[in-house]
Amino acid sequence: MDSFFLWLGMGLFTLVLLCLYRGVFGPGVLNRIAGICAIGTKTLVILLLMGFIYNRVEMFIDISLVYALLNFIGTITVAKYLEMKGEV
Amino acid sequence: MTRVTDDIIIRAVARVMIPFIQLYALYVIMHGHHSPGGGFQGGVILGASFILYLLTHGLEEAKIRMSEIKAGLFSSFGVLIYSGIGLLCLILGSNYLDYGKLSTILKVVPAQARSLGILGVEIGVGITVMAVMFSVFFDISTGGELPEDEE
Amino acid sequence: MNIHQIASIPFLLGGFFFFVAATVGLLRFPDFFCRLHATGKGDTLAVLLSLIGLSVYEGFSLTSLKILFIAVFMFLAQPTSTHAISRAAVRCGQEPWVRERSK
Repeated sequence: MDSFFLWLGMGLFTLVLLCLYRGVFGPGVLNRIAGICAIGTKTLVILLLMGFIYNRVEMFIDISLVYALLNFIGTITVAKYLEMKGEV
Repeated sequence: MTRVTDDIIIRAVARVMIPFIQLYALYVIMHGHHSPGGGFQGGVILGASFILYLLTHGLEEAKIRMSEIKAGLFSSFGVLIYSGIGLLCLILGSNYLDYGKLSTILKVVPAQARSLGILGVEIGVGITVMAVMFSVFFDISTGGELPEDEE
Repeated sequence: MNIHQIASIPFLLGGFFFFVAATVGLLRFPDFFCRLHATGKGDTLAVLLSLIGLSVYEGFSLTSLKILFIAVFMFLAQPTSTHAISRAAVRCGQEPWVRERSK
């Protein structure tokens, strides 16, 4: 089962690289935000898979919860900033 | 950044979510012996919950909950807890922040006294980090100019 | 290998499938709103399926309860952040993409 988790994590890592294309080259600020937000959700699952591979889930689960929390607050902050600024 | 957003969805979700975030921050501070975390990380989560409140509910309501003066008082109070526990160990005849000597006041065995001393220090660190993070965000978001109604 | 560990495999594969679908949508759609539509819906479902699968794999314990707590949090947070970004995009004057009609 560990090798299954490993292959799943490597597939998710490939998807993170594909999303990073949108985060780097995406036209405009908004496309970049969408790409980075998509990377955040995939990283959460990768962290949990790493916890299962290393047999230390109860340690990695706190990290992934904080990661999800900070991703949410960061996205809200950038959206509020762009909304107040009124232009891209 | 400091005006009230006129969006009911974000405000409602934030109002539901903020108490659970703060409860989780207290869990991270208290459970720092056995899991990742501790004073600094829990303080960052606690500060992030206040930042979320400021973002969604505007400056006026956030100043009722946590004003600039309260943030300054809390940051000083956390440093006072930290250095107070350290100096207490120094007064009792041991090194700075050597919690073993606290067992004479707390009437427990030295190992438990060390655990309790570390817990007290981490509470102080958490309070300081929370207040300083909120204060930094407060200053950045208002551009350094506070509105006039500061008592 | 126990029965609940085998039962977690379809959930994980389903989550991975929706991650792939969301990423293809993010890369291939023509417009910002379409891309946000793909990631906002697809990633939410994929995270939910993956976390439920991992929780089933773990069994009944405090850890699986915490994983379900993360799932509830993501179920609330992900649509809210998507809504916030799209609202900011509308306020910034982004025009939706329309197909060019040849008349």
